[in-house]
Amino acid sequence: MDKIKLRQICFLFAAMMPITKTIVYPATLAYTARNDLLWSALVNFLLEGAVIAAVLFLAKRTNCTFFELLQNTFGKVAARILYGLFGLFFALSALLPLMEQKNFVTVELYENVPPVISFAPFFALCFFACTKGFKSIGRVADIALPVFVFCFAAILLLALPQADFAALLPIGASGAKGIFGGALQGLNWYTDCLYPLFFLGHFEYEKGAAGKVLGSYAAGSAAVLVFLAVFYGTYSDIAILQYNTLAQISKYATAGTSLGRVDLLFVFSLVLVLIFYCCVPVQMCVHCISKAIGCPPVWPAAVVNLLLLAFTIFFNYSFAELQTVFTQKLWFVFALFAYVLPVCSLLLRRTANSPQKEKSRE
Amino acid sequence: MNKFWTRLFIVAAAILLLLFFSNDFGLIDIQKTAVIAAIGIDAAETDGACDMTVQIAVPDQSGNGMASNVTVKGASSVNDAITEVNRKTGWYPSLVHCRLLLLGEKLTEKDVFDFLGFFLRSEFIDDSCLVAVCEGRAEEALTASSPVRELTAVSISKVLSSSSQKTGAVSVMILRDFAKGYYSPAASGYLPYISVKREAQSEQGSNALPSFLPDSTQKSEQRSTDALPSFLPDGTQKFEQRSTDALPSFLPDGTQKSEQRSTDALPSFLPDGTQKFEQEDGRSRGARKTFSPRKVPGRSCGTMHEGVSASTGGFSDSMQREMLFPIRNIGSIWEKLFPRRNPLPIGAPCAAGTESSGEQGGSKSGEGGQNADVFDASRTMLFYKGKGVSVLETEETLAFNLADTSTDLAYGMVEVSENGETVSYCLKMKIAGKKLSLDVRENTPVLTFRIRANAQVSDVSSSQDLLQVTQTARVPEHVLRAAEQKFADRLGQILEKSADTGCDIFGAAQRLYRFYPRRYDGLKDGLLANIRPVYDIRFDTLR
Repeated sequence: MDKIKLRQICFLFAAMMPITKTIVYPATLAYTARNDLLWSALVNFLLEGAVIAAVLFLAKRTNCTFFELLQNTFGKVAARILYGLFGLFFALSALLPLMEQKNFVTVELYENVPPVISFAPFFALCFFACTKGFKSIGRVADIALPVFVFCFAAILLLALPQADFAALLPIGASGAKGIFGGALQGLNWYTDCLYPLFFLGHFEYEKGAAGKVLGSYAAGSAAVLVFLAVFYGTYSDIAILQYNTLAQISKYATAGTSLGRVDLLFVFSLVLVLIFYCCVPVQMCVHCISKAIGCPPVWPAAVVNLLLLAFTIFFNYSFAELQTVFTQKLWFVFALFAYVLPVCSLLLRRTANSPQKEKSRE
Repeated sequence: MNKFWTRLFIVAAAILLLLFFSNDFGLIDIQKTAVIAAIGIDAAETDGACDMTVQIAVPDQSGNGMASNVTVKGASSVNDAITEVNRKTGWYPSLVHCRLLLLGEKLTEKDVFDFLGFFLRSEFIDDSCLVAVCEGRAEEALTASSPVRELTAVSISKVLSSSSQKTGAVSVMILRDFAKGYYSPAASGYLPYISVKREAQSEQGSNALPSFLPDSTQKSEQRSTDALPSFLPDGTQKFEQRSTDALPSFLPDGTQKSEQRSTDALPSFLPDGTQKFEQEDGRSRGARKTFSPRKVPGRSCGTMHEGVSASTGGFSDSMQREMLFPIRNIGSIWEKLFPRRNPLPIGAPCAAGTESSGEQGGSKSGEGGQNADVFDASRTMLFYKGKGVSVLETEETLAFNLADTSTDLAYGMVEVSENGETVSYCLKMKIAGKKLSLDVRENTPVLTFRIRANAQVSDVSSSQDLLQVTQTARVPEHVLRAAEQKFADRLGQILEKSADTGCDIFGAAQRLYRFYPRRYDGLKDGLLANIRPVYDIRFDTLR
């Protein structure tokens, strides 16, 4: 069976989850929540943490996979349909991070404007990862942790002298509308809480597992909050101009002036981690679809990656529109799939129906 | 998948990722790319249009920086001008390496963000690039020259370096911080105000040195105090250089044939060839006159340092005299014939000195050695709503930097009366702590400057006994108090200018909004005029 270790889930949250929130998300958040962006992000983290806690509670009580739980409750056909819907949702949630990643690399790491097709190699890697299942996610998380810890700390240290944390004052200046509006529009970046639901039955719940996972998630969240604080402290009133934040905040460090942009080494490493994390929703999508149609993951992986490649080419010059739709129009889709449904999974039947009951139902 | 396919995919993915991150090995053709090192923007004759000068770095085989300046007149926008550069030159302009934005003085009469907005939008220009206003036209500043073979943009950037900021002589500003000020509720900011001091305009004191000694009877090596903002020569000078080569950082060697050897204003820039000295004031044309420095009370002595000048008279005169008295001058003749292999490198101390003074030689791209110009950035222009509204003079700039920027070491001049005479003390000040805070007391905003500094005597205008000279770390009490008072006075002057112009240079409105948000609406109108300053300034010294 496709297994992932508890340690690797912890690393996924502590080391990989924060990076997705360091590209376009800070500027988007600053647009709505302004200097209250920390509170806005905190709302999201608390919500996500609550969902993860709920899923872990479920994991403690059952060894079934999510598909089995659905099957137990709604039957096989309904489970497949729901899995198909989740597959579509994962594909949807993968789209904006992929575009972010593509734009980030082409703007920050390329001197000139590269052809659209230059992003195609990502999908080759992603296809490979999709065929490998959850085990590959776990292995990547193992590798990502030391890279993340070292590089993220280096970038923050380089950026810290420029930050004026007084820019975060006064607290609550943007009001409840700004704080909760920011949280709502940021939901696209907070779909990580859904992963443990699909890891159900693929990892062994051990004693204190909930504490470890939630602790890791808290560590990852704290890293993001510190990053956001440094970001807003550095840019304050012009924060909304700073897309590709990860590559921006550390460039003012004078320590390595004579050597050039030393910080790009760290940025480069983090982008590599991000590449693998961008694969995770696609892997989840392939997992769901292969379960839904009952086939090996190779074919869904090929189709999904080709479709995503086509989408990225199609939306190449429409990132702003895509971002507006995802953050301002589709927030309820993310809320439903990433928050409501996982919590509702607590109500699913954890044991299979007896053959007699199945018969009487028929 | 079997193992073969797995391995194949791993290799393929690795290769493709390499291609992706390496820009598909897409190298830039440097022959077709204009690497823009600096951009100067001036107001055009047509209203609302701009003239843009770009300094394009042209690398050559020797590694020396060469540059071309391309000017586009009457462009409707910066983007339009950059496109025009492409059309004019055939080069694709790359802004990635642009480190300096220079604004012409006239441009500041209108909102400068009409033109700076382009640089905030562009992903291909770094918002850490320096921004400055220059006296006159930016185009002229970028075409200024110096004997040092480096780009003018590099020379100006050195004046605006972070080390200059640390010594308080220049209020350095980058695009990001200037934009932050502009888009803040106070809509205020400041930029360093650069003056190009032509060699022919050395009456400004920038490159006229006391060491410029046409008199052949002068000693061949004379230690002198360099041309500093604190000193002005009392005469107009004009150089006419006939040689082109320059020896940056080194003293001219004795083998040079020169009608007159001199060290000019920046000791680090010593022309290596024949020079003709000519004074324009009519009074002393052709006269061999030693320029004696004149102290200017209003100037900071932050630039004070000793330079070594190899100033002697013109070659012909001096050599004639030396030939007439060969025995007496045998040593100097020997030196002229066989110069020292290791000439004293005065570039380093002078560079430090000039940086701290906010002045540095510029260079005409690839034409180093002729018509040396220096850049003085010791003044600061204040902006309100994007328009230049006032200028802080040198001492005000220093006081502002000591109070509110990252300056931690500076020099300042204090005049005190001792035994009925006015004595000037040049103090070296190490800032031990500074805090600028705003609070509201009885409905009045109070801006408190808390500054702690340790002072040493760097120089005194009158001679002192040996013990006093030895104890430079001890500053007399009355001098310390005078320094505190002068500092407070300068800050008061800045606040007055701030209130008069609306430029919230100390960020009072922002502080009020951040720390007293409930009082903000009630106090924001007329805030700058209503501020009550409190100066908690204390200078200490070794007891």
